[in-house]
Amino acid sequence: MDVIEAVGLGKRYGRKKWGLQDCTLSVPAGRVTGLVGPNGSGKTTLLSLAVGMIRATAGTVLVAGETAGSLAARDLTAFVAQDAPLYQNLPVRDMLRVARNLNVRWDHDRAVSRLDGLGIPLKQRVGALSGGQKAQLALTIALARRPELLVLDEPLAALDPLARADFMKSVREAVAEDQISAVFSTHVVAELEQVADYLIVLGRGAVLLSGTTAELTAAHGGQSPEQVILSALRENAAHAQGQAQEVAR
Amino acid sequence: MTAAAIPSRRERAAARPVPWTRLTWVAWRQHRAALAGAAALLGAIGAYLAYTGWEVHRAYDAYTACVPASMRVTGGPRACVPAVRAFYSFYGSGQGSVLKSGLNAQTVPFLLLAVPVLLGAFAGGPALARELESGTFRFAWTQGAGRVRLAAARLVPLAVVLAAAAYGLSALFSWYIGPFVQAGVTGKYPMQLFGTMGTDFAAWTLFSFAVAAFAGVLLRRAVPAMAASIVVLTALDVVTMMALRQHYAAPVVVTGTEPAGIGNLVVGNWFTTTSGVPVSQATVLSAFARLPFGVTPSTAMLAEHHWLQWWSYQPASRWWQFQLTEGGWLLAASLLLIAATILLIRRRPA
Repeated sequence: MDVIEAVGLGKRYGRKKWGLQDCTLSVPAGRVTGLVGPNGSGKTTLLSLAVGMIRATAGTVLVAGETAGSLAARDLTAFVAQDAPLYQNLPVRDMLRVARNLNVRWDHDRAVSRLDGLGIPLKQRVGALSGGQKAQLALTIALARRPELLVLDEPLAALDPLARADFMKSVREAVAEDQISAVFSTHVVAELEQVADYLIVLGRGAVLLSGTTAELTAAHGGQSPEQVILSALRENAAHAQGQAQEVAR
Repeated sequence: MTAAAIPSRRERAAARPVPWTRLTWVAWRQHRAALAGAAALLGAIGAYLAYTGWEVHRAYDAYTACVPASMRVTGGPRACVPAVRAFYSFYGSGQGSVLKSGLNAQTVPFLLLAVPVLLGAFAGGPALARELESGTFRFAWTQGAGRVRLAAARLVPLAVVLAAAAYGLSALFSWYIGPFVQAGVTGKYPMQLFGTMGTDFAAWTLFSFAVAAFAGVLLRRAVPAMAASIVVLTALDVVTMMALRQHYAAPVVVTGTEPAGIGNLVVGNWFTTTSGVPVSQATVLSAFARLPFGVTPSTAMLAEHHWLQWWSYQPASRWWQFQLTEGGWLLAASLLLIAATILLIRRRPA
């Protein structure tokens, strides 16, 4: 069973520029999936389509079996955007209330006890929280929505190494505890096997590689997932360069 | 980890939309500072109108107690001069120029015309633009409520509250200016007070808000949206006042002297011969070259040349009809703009 199913998915910005073109992929349920690729490979576009932030120009994408962007899909999908945008001027308590009033599914006690466990005071203004705390607050709000799918866009980009480890540990725990699925995008290849148990490598909208970390390692003669990903990306870049040179001729 | 993580569609409870009341609470929480600002502005103006209005009413009572109704046009007994002067001083007449006397019943309505524009711009500009420029739309739009409901829950209550508050202020202004209306200074239906009385003030506030909110989504920035809407609305306001309002109904056309009656809105005047052939204004005026500048020739003088002067005007009695016409188009335009704003939010690639 797949939690995200994209078929021939395409998104064009403006007249010519495609953010994603003819992308067909499946994100498995019940796992933490890392969506890896260089900048411009279409990760954010793919995730934005999955959470219904933007609409597809071509193809379809289903989330937990529902059309992305529909009321049903929105209800089941929690999204933490890059840099965890939240209302900076609100106290944490009111930020929770705002989120509670924007959702039908909401587990308030869970949010409060989770913040308590993290030592994030409810009285504190969101803007006064550290980067790591802000990311944890965004995650708390996302989890309080009791989603079936948790989508995180570049959650690691703004965090220092320690906060990264803590954050991804929280994600893994939540996925295990709630029996949900999570997918996150990243361009950081290092230590991926510690945070993701399934990897999809994206190069200019096309899936270059996908599989569990164990599968990838086994299929490539025991290389670490990091090495496997890097060589796939290099190959893809070289291929693209070759094509560009051909066009130039 | 198993594939059982996703319940089938059948076991899942059907998703319900988030109730409007909850979304309205969110709008309130996010805009209460802006609403407090608007309340402070309206409150300060309201306090001025209430206090001065009370003084005006007191002066009017003293004036009417002293001067019998039959003598009010001509002036009244000598002993009443202080009472008469005191009353008219609030109108800014009898004591030097209007500008010199500062805030008075003649200058206040003009200053009030800025309120709908400013109120609408400051409330409407940031209403959605703030979310777009700070990036929090990526949070707000991906919650269960959905962006369309969220935008509607933000715009509609704000629009209603602002329009209601503006209506309250214009009602207070009507009370403040009331003695001058009763005393016959402004006429019963004063066209010069068209924008600050009746429903017009509230309608312009609503329209300004809608324009600013639309600009906010279009420009995606709060401050440029506020600036742009102030410019556009000031221009529209002036054009409506100077050129549009007089065309809400076919004007009444009369010949003879200028139509008397305070509050009539003269649209145009021209000359013809008695048989109906137009005569240019220049021809008429050069024939009466000895007339002092700005003085129109009398009917008798025109009769010597077999000329007629014609007037077209909007009688003051059409005041309410015009209020409904202007309120109607402003309301329609506001609803269209709010709908367009929500549509833009719906379609906007983020």
